[in-house]
Amino acid sequence: MRRYLPIILALVLVGPVMDVAAEAPGNGLPQQVDKLIEAALPNFAEHASPLCNDAEFLRRVTLDLTATIPSSEATRRFLADTTPTGTKRVRLIDRLLASPAYARRMQYLLDWILMERRSSENVPSAGWESYLRQAATENRPWDQLAHEILVEGGGDSKTRSRARFYLDREFDLTVVTRDVGRIFMGKDLECAQCHNHPVVDAYLQRHYYGLKAFLDRSYLFTDPKSKKKSLGEKAEGDVTFTSAFDDTKGKTSPRILDLAEIIDPDGSNKQYVTKPSKSARGVPRYSRRQQLGIAVTAEQNRAFRLNIANRLWAAMMGRGLVEPLDLGHVDNPPSHPELLDLLGDQLHDHGYDMKWFLGQLARTRAYQRSSLTSEPSAKVALKHFAVGLLKPLSPEQYAWATMEATGVLASTRSSARKKLESEAAQARAKKTKKTSQAGSDKKPDSDAKQDKAATPSAVSITISSAALETAVDKAVAGHIKTFVAQFAVDGGQTTSFSATAPQALFLVNGALVWDWLKPTTTNLTGRLSKLDDPTAVAEELYIGVLNRPPTESERNEVMVYLAASSDRSEATLELTWALLLSAEFRFNH
Amino acid sequence: MQRDHGCHRIDHEFSRRGFLASGALAGVASLSSPSLAKELQKKQKRVLQIYLQGGVSQLESWDPKPGTRYGGPFRPIPTSVPGMHICELLPHTAQRMHLMSIVRGINLKTNSHHDGRLFMEMGRRAGKFPYVGSVAAKYLMPENAPLPGYLHVTTRGLTDFTNAFLDARYGQLKLAGPQVPENLIRPKVVTADAARRSRTLLKRLNNRFSGRGGQKSFTDSYNASFEMAEKLMARRELFEGEPAGRDLDRYGRHPFGRNCLLARSLLENGGTVVKVTHHGYDTHAENFNFHLEQLGEFDKTFCMLLDDLNDSGMLESTLVMIYSEFGRTPKINVRYGRDHWGTAWSIALGGQGITPGAIVGATNKEGTEVSQREVDGGHLFHTYLQALGIDSTAYHTLDGRKVPIGDPTRQPIQELLA
Repeated sequence: MRRYLPIILALVLVGPVMDVAAEAPGNGLPQQVDKLIEAALPNFAEHASPLCNDAEFLRRVTLDLTATIPSSEATRRFLADTTPTGTKRVRLIDRLLASPAYARRMQYLLDWILMERRSSENVPSAGWESYLRQAATENRPWDQLAHEILVEGGGDSKTRSRARFYLDREFDLTVVTRDVGRIFMGKDLECAQCHNHPVVDAYLQRHYYGLKAFLDRSYLFTDPKSKKKSLGEKAEGDVTFTSAFDDTKGKTSPRILDLAEIIDPDGSNKQYVTKPSKSARGVPRYSRRQQLGIAVTAEQNRAFRLNIANRLWAAMMGRGLVEPLDLGHVDNPPSHPELLDLLGDQLHDHGYDMKWFLGQLARTRAYQRSSLTSEPSAKVALKHFAVGLLKPLSPEQYAWATMEATGVLASTRSSARKKLESEAAQARAKKTKKTSQAGSDKKPDSDAKQDKAATPSAVSITISSAALETAVDKAVAGHIKTFVAQFAVDGGQTTSFSATAPQALFLVNGALVWDWLKPTTTNLTGRLSKLDDPTAVAEELYIGVLNRPPTESERNEVMVYLAASSDRSEATLELTWALLLSAEFRFNH
Repeated sequence: MQRDHGCHRIDHEFSRRGFLASGALAGVASLSSPSLAKELQKKQKRVLQIYLQGGVSQLESWDPKPGTRYGGPFRPIPTSVPGMHICELLPHTAQRMHLMSIVRGINLKTNSHHDGRLFMEMGRRAGKFPYVGSVAAKYLMPENAPLPGYLHVTTRGLTDFTNAFLDARYGQLKLAGPQVPENLIRPKVVTADAARRSRTLLKRLNNRFSGRGGQKSFTDSYNASFEMAEKLMARRELFEGEPAGRDLDRYGRHPFGRNCLLARSLLENGGTVVKVTHHGYDTHAENFNFHLEQLGEFDKTFCMLLDDLNDSGMLESTLVMIYSEFGRTPKINVRYGRDHWGTAWSIALGGQGITPGAIVGATNKEGTEVSQREVDGGHLFHTYLQALGIDSTAYHTLDGRKVPIGDPTRQPIQELLA
């Protein structure tokens, strides 16, 4: 019997793996991804962690797709659901992707990728955020979004928000040229500005200037009346450059890396729709900035698809296939080149549908591996995605998760719902009154009936979940800002992590966190204080904060802690605080 | 007139990447020689870094070029070292040059704030390496140091990953100024007992979780942030109370004066590496007016701090670095500014392990290139560490792999080492 034990164990461990595979048989993207991941390391199985358990998966994917942790109820429901794991997980993924909170998560992620934590200078962030939110809600394809942003000059008030990318970089040519390369193509060409790149052989000076030539004719225009800034563009001027090393001279038309130069059409030189002047924003007949939108997102520019595939992969998996995310070149190749090609191509072939793409990644074994690993193999395992990687919560995720765990969100949501309901009821009453007044000449006897119907209690008012979430967003906006100020790292999307003492002080002593911990009728500490049974306290606490039931020893730890204290509610508060500040909460694991 | 016209906040200051030449993820490094570390700690050497952010003009400070077309309006003045002249904007410093030395032949071959700063801090042109402050903290910080090892007083709070693959304890802690750091005081609702109990529990929870995902550096960094916070909380008196009027009169009542007073008290109270950033040297416009103003502030304040360290006997065990990310162009632009210039510029060093009163290296007559003893960030990095008695040619051990502490293709400036 003894000799069969390992086999049985292996079957138990493999169980969920087969289950997931069974859910999406054949050769879908998730299966192809896993094949490539697992083939990249000869003894992959030795390094690989088993798939994470349901609780870990629930927390992980909820954070990744909706920017917050699941509620206690959602956690209990998912853990109690006896549907086979694979099916259950796929259903969860699809449910999360369909929820309005998905658009919130994408808004945050896209904002981070595109604006890199820059402050709002010329374009209010509110407009920009709702632009991104709307795009994410519609699941607007990435190439379309990129095109919209790259061509926008901000002159038209309807689309001005999109110009935040350029205008909040003050349209500094050096900066925008560099950032178009980094953010849309994953290539940082800055050092190629003065000479061919000193360290990166593949970055050439002409690459930088080819890109710059698209933007070189655009300029920051300040409207003399409104003082608003927008982009004007000239219909003349060429880009020349000289190497700082050897005085080699070059001249280039707009050009993406080594693709063909885009030559201005004949007769377009100095041809204007609006001639640039002190009082008028120049608008050329032929716009090179329009060409940038086309050229960057074009089929031939493979860097565009690889970049976004890599960035979305990094957001889900905790590490880019190319790291740093903006330094893709021959001498810094992807860890899994074939995989990156596959991902880029699939994303492209699916019309840059990011929602679909993230859903596919969430279905892979690579995504679903446990982050528990035995130390010695960790380094290799980590590089090969054989183990789930820790992802520090983004400031926004951290804020939402903390509010969800402490119960602040539940009460915010319920007051937002009440407010919306009463507003809707009032609006309906007003409308009904109007209609009934209008009709009163003809049918005076119907008044009483109408009035009765208009009282809020008599009709059911349904608030759309999207409307509710927008109201919640408004209510918590200040808290999100506080967390961003405290936890954001300057700069763009990254997978690195560094905690600072001021952040620790904010968590340890900050008024905000302690305020959220103060027991109320609805929040977590309030709920806990009503529980007599220490086991129940442990259960509620762990489910509420860490989205999993406590282990045996953790349950004991809670019981001992409670028993040692003379003040039960104080002890409950301390326990909640400790769990909330634990590394397990700080990371998406 | 905006002095840094054409330059941008984020591009200038943020430090977030540097591609990984070694291909390594952050991991745990251990001392290459534990006994060496103990020995150094006993002697309690320290570092004071004054960072002139934006790039101070060498022509208006350590390397004046009087009577040339690029020289500008200011004159050189003699110093306490016979034959050594510096710019008249530094009259107090001039009287103390017997305590300091100048390196005049620096060529970084970059004009970017970001790259220049990283080269000066990491001693490497590219890659992800610890800053000199983190390396010094690692080797010099006593085991039970009362303060975090690497403190940076700066009015702008950007997060740098200064420890790279070294333990998070050696990462830089930023302080916004002399005021009590935000959230330093325990809220009233939490009793001292409750704080002790719950923090013990938190430590236990975090130890259990440590190393998840194979990313020990992440959990280490998280845990270290609490350790550092606790150290600060225990020393809140350092931030309380107004400095003595006499001190304020000497140092100046401006933020740089107060920040330097804080630096003094941090060094006196067990700080290992203390950096103060003096912002505002990126003078693309009105270079001369701005240097007059900036260096006016720097000169006296720095000298008061230097005097205090010298008088208390701390200077001989404290390495003093006055540095930037680069200097400024000899050529004066149409806005009376000088632009970024990593090609031929200077820094000043003093204190622990540095031969005082020396000038190493030179630039040509108009200051357009280095004419003698050219060095870069790599040479300087070795020099700082060797002045502190740290063998910069040794290795960090990183998961069984060896990473040279200093760039092996560079050497220290021997003639500067005492």
